[in-house]
Amino acid sequence: MSPRPGALLRSTLRTRRREFVRLTGWSLVEAVPALLSGWLVARAVDDGFLADRTAEGLGWLGLLACAVLVGAWGTRQATLQLAGVVEPFRDDLVTLVTTGTLHRSARVGQSADTAGVARLTEQVEIARESYGAVVLFVQSFVVTAVSVLLGLAALDPALLLFVVPPLAAGLALFLMALRAMAARQRAVVLADEAIAEQVSTVAGGLRDVTACGAEATVRRRAGARIDEAASAARALAGLTALRTAALGVGGWLPIVLILAGAPWLVRDGVTAGAILGALTYVAQGLQPALRGFVQGLGGSGLWLLVTLGRILEAADPGAAGAAPPRAATPPPTATAQTPGGTLPRDGRVELHGVTFGYAPSAEPVVRDLDLSLASGTHLAVVGPSGAGKSTLTALIAGVLEPQVGQVDLGGVPVRALDLDRLSRSRVLIPQEAYVVAGTLRENLAYLHPAATSPDLDAAVRAIGAGALVERLGGYDAQVDPALLSAGERQLIALVRALLPPAPLVLLDEATCHLDPAAEAVAERAFAGRPATLIVCAHRISSASRADLVLVMDGPRCRLGTHDQLLADCALYRDLIGHWDQMATDVRR
Amino acid sequence: MDRRAADRLLLTAVRRGGAWGGAQAAASLLLAGTYVLLPAVMGRSVDAVLGRGDTGLWLTLSAVTVALLVVCDTADDYAGAVANARCTAWLRHTLLGHVLDLGALAARRHTPGDLVARLVGNTARAGSAPSGLVWAVTELLPPVGAVVALALIDPWLCLTFVAGLPLVALVVRAFVRDVSDLNDRYFAVQGRIASRLVDALTGIRTITAAGTTTREAERVLGPLPELHRHGLGMWRAYARVSARDAVIVPLLEVAVLAVAGLGLVQGRITPGQMLAASGYVVLATGVSSLVTSMNRLAFARATAGRIAEVLGEPTGAYGGARLPRGGGGRLEFRGVTVRTAEGDAALDGVDLDLPAGALTAVVGRSGSGKSLLAALAGRLADPDEGEVRLDGVPLYDVDRAELRRAVAYGFERPVLLGETFTDAIGFGPRTPGGAEIRAGAVAARADAFIRTMPEGYGTLLTGAPLSGGENQRIGLARAFVQSAPHGRLLVLDDVAASLDTVTEHHISQALTGTGPLAGRARLVVTHRASTAAGAHLVVWLDAGRVRGVGTHRDLWAEDGYRAVFQPDSEGDGEARSEPDQHPDLHTQPAPEYDGGVW
Repeated sequence: MSPRPGALLRSTLRTRRREFVRLTGWSLVEAVPALLSGWLVARAVDDGFLADRTAEGLGWLGLLACAVLVGAWGTRQATLQLAGVVEPFRDDLVTLVTTGTLHRSARVGQSADTAGVARLTEQVEIARESYGAVVLFVQSFVVTAVSVLLGLAALDPALLLFVVPPLAAGLALFLMALRAMAARQRAVVLADEAIAEQVSTVAGGLRDVTACGAEATVRRRAGARIDEAASAARALAGLTALRTAALGVGGWLPIVLILAGAPWLVRDGVTAGAILGALTYVAQGLQPALRGFVQGLGGSGLWLLVTLGRILEAADPGAAGAAPPRAATPPPTATAQTPGGTLPRDGRVELHGVTFGYAPSAEPVVRDLDLSLASGTHLAVVGPSGAGKSTLTALIAGVLEPQVGQVDLGGVPVRALDLDRLSRSRVLIPQEAYVVAGTLRENLAYLHPAATSPDLDAAVRAIGAGALVERLGGYDAQVDPALLSAGERQLIALVRALLPPAPLVLLDEATCHLDPAAEAVAERAFAGRPATLIVCAHRISSASRADLVLVMDGPRCRLGTHDQLLADCALYRDLIGHWDQMATDVRR
Repeated sequence: MDRRAADRLLLTAVRRGGAWGGAQAAASLLLAGTYVLLPAVMGRSVDAVLGRGDTGLWLTLSAVTVALLVVCDTADDYAGAVANARCTAWLRHTLLGHVLDLGALAARRHTPGDLVARLVGNTARAGSAPSGLVWAVTELLPPVGAVVALALIDPWLCLTFVAGLPLVALVVRAFVRDVSDLNDRYFAVQGRIASRLVDALTGIRTITAAGTTTREAERVLGPLPELHRHGLGMWRAYARVSARDAVIVPLLEVAVLAVAGLGLVQGRITPGQMLAASGYVVLATGVSSLVTSMNRLAFARATAGRIAEVLGEPTGAYGGARLPRGGGGRLEFRGVTVRTAEGDAALDGVDLDLPAGALTAVVGRSGSGKSLLAALAGRLADPDEGEVRLDGVPLYDVDRAELRRAVAYGFERPVLLGETFTDAIGFGPRTPGGAEIRAGAVAARADAFIRTMPEGYGTLLTGAPLSGGENQRIGLARAFVQSAPHGRLLVLDDVAASLDTVTEHHISQALTGTGPLAGRARLVVTHRASTAAGAHLVVWLDAGRVRGVGTHRDLWAEDGYRAVFQPDSEGDGEARSEPDQHPDLHTQPAPEYDGGVW
């Protein structure tokens, strides 16, 4: 369960208490003119100008000028303190969204979360701005309101009668409307997200949209979302009337009341200067602060609550219902880990009655599979696409967890390995090679950061990536993943996989973008090591190089050597047969 | 960034706000007028209370003015929000339409994450331009009105104020410049973080297997301190201005009050006028709200610049010509040259005449321009020189819908659009029937696995992660369905790369012999000699030029041609960078046509 926005906001108050205390301190300084203005104006008028004592009047006003300077100093410092609260808050949110989407995608086993990026750029920015606005307006309203009420009481306590009741009524009206506003604001955010989702798919598939001639279809569908967002925004605007009414009652009514009550006040002995002072307090202190508060909370505050809610929902790595039907169960959890930190003794792989399906109702992909590979075995997994080869490697690598049965690596149940030991126990390279924007060294040493340059040289030579390294400009050159071909990316991933001393290597069609000879070089580099090697074959030539071949066809599997299978497995003969027509001499 | 293009776009967008923009302008004007009147009315009321006028009249007027103010304020807010919503929607429709028109071109210039940010976030920012503009204008009125009012009360008050005014103007100008620059930098860093996250999400299987999720999160967050720094810079600029604002406005007010006080002593000014004067000073220096709307406009400009940048990229124009009835997809290339961004020729003077109804294979080493040639055949790219004709009609002239009906594409890595499998396979301008969709899926060997899905063809794509091969087969089914009714040309760009040989063999049957699509002209980019052997004609590309055209058997005599299907001796010969080409050469010197594999 993700934390709620309110809880998160409270926790920022707690964790950055010092910054908030400093902020409040500086806003008290900032409020000095608000506190003194009305009173000083009243003194200047009553004791100075109306009493024909010009110098005294000017003196009071000089004091007001000093208060202004002090207040401006407070404003500057308070704004800087506000930055110290808001920027870390934004950092927190970016971090939360990034780690959340990554962990969730990792758990689900695929990057289903395309809207994550839109969230990062847009919602975090909205939350940042609205958080700043809310903190600014709330603290400045509270400080100003208290100052003004104190100042009014100093002028004449009776003045409070004309100010406090309407102010309270206006605030109450506003706070009551806030709930309805929050609901409509939420609708606006949801509509924006629907746009983001639709648009991300389209942005990733523009070539396909053009090729299908589907521009009009896409424009219609995404256009409908855009129009929905616009009408949600209009519905929200409808409630701004309530907001402004609250401001009218709380901020403007006191002025009218003071004016209306002035004859009575004057009869009661309140001076002309006090009336001027009171009006100055309300019109120039309270009213603008209340306006800021109502607009800040009614606009920014709602955005903050709603976007924070969405951000937290999206960033929750364990969100229920997020897993699609064919998604993986979570990787080994802490509860199942052995305390001793045992590592697999060698590269033995044993599957005991393993059954796995992507959904309880669906046909299992792997059914009741027993498999035992001695350490150092080179196994090729073949079968038509969709036969479950990737699923099998994911099960062996501990990325997926079987519904029934157990997978042991080197005598240790794979479920008992925590993430760190699991990644030291085996290397799994999928079909789509991941290259990060960084140096080539960073990319090659990705799984084995301790690798030295000679280590890299050896691995690069073994995989046959020398020319690529040279072209890219050496290990310390920056790599732009977008400028590499799929084959080049795979070469980098293969060098990467060769470096760590893991006892088990799984290549899940990791060489499919290489030509057969390059593939053979790469596979031999892995086969030449003592580690167990499991290759999901993209080409049948991979099978002929292996010690053992596992033929998968749906849940049925056959294990044997190349020659055995040729003799008694029709599917294998079929697979080989089609290949043979094309490539008789690849198996040289 | 082109500021002028950004400003033009903003103005057009504002006009799209329509009547609501006008309504807001009216309400905003009336509101500004009321603001100007209020201090005077309040001053007169105070004077009346102190015995210098009709108390009842002035109190009533005060109440009416305040009520008018509240009403106009409401109308201003509402109409402004509606105008903004309309303007944002217009910007989104426009940008989306343009991005769709750009098609593959936009994909080459911008990452998907970048396009999404522009389409969703930046449009919302730029969409706030109508209210921003109205406010930038109407917020000038109270200051001007207030200066006039000051002069009417007492010329000395006005003089005092005007002497301090230049200071304020300076502050406003400095701030607007600052923010535009800082915003640009801030957005750039933000975009960098977003791209890194997209990269990491695409490599999530590697990351999961390596257990490096935490490390990857750190990598994505690498530029965060820089973002933090730019953010703090924005705050520092803001702090400077608010402090100057907090000094200048109240000090002007104090100065005017002092002068008014002297007037009060001399009896030139009443207490009510003194109150009004202090109110007018505040109005006259309405700098803080002016700064806010300038700030908002600066934001709108920065983001409108990013939108205008995309809108400024020219799209390919389509003609209105029909293709001749009964054409069989004859494809001609006449002196076709395409240059890379650096000016090198990716295809250089290509002349080709590919007969109707034939299966043509395009072969060549990686980087030789095969995919580009395939893209030209259906205008997924346009030549810089020369022209491409389909059934005798230059592609430039062909009506867009007609072209898409005639040419269908299968890709090595298709992106599936639509919600369900049915939707994804039938994606396009027409809505094919269920039987047609199933026939396409059967021909592409996708029917069996779709039927194991929880809802069959109605299963949501988002709920069914697909393997590369499955994805490829759905994409192929889509091309088959698109091509089925009126297709002339089927372009298959390395569609079999992720398919196993058994599946590939079955699929090839749909395209050859008596298969349902055997009558089409087929342009097949391939790395496989067997496919070339099965083709009627082979186009052999080398470094952007046509090296040979003929049958596989004829070309096989040349060493260079055979080398196309041979791996390099070092095994990493495909090290040239061409992201669209994937060097999965399936080597097999098998010159004999095997009859089954295309």
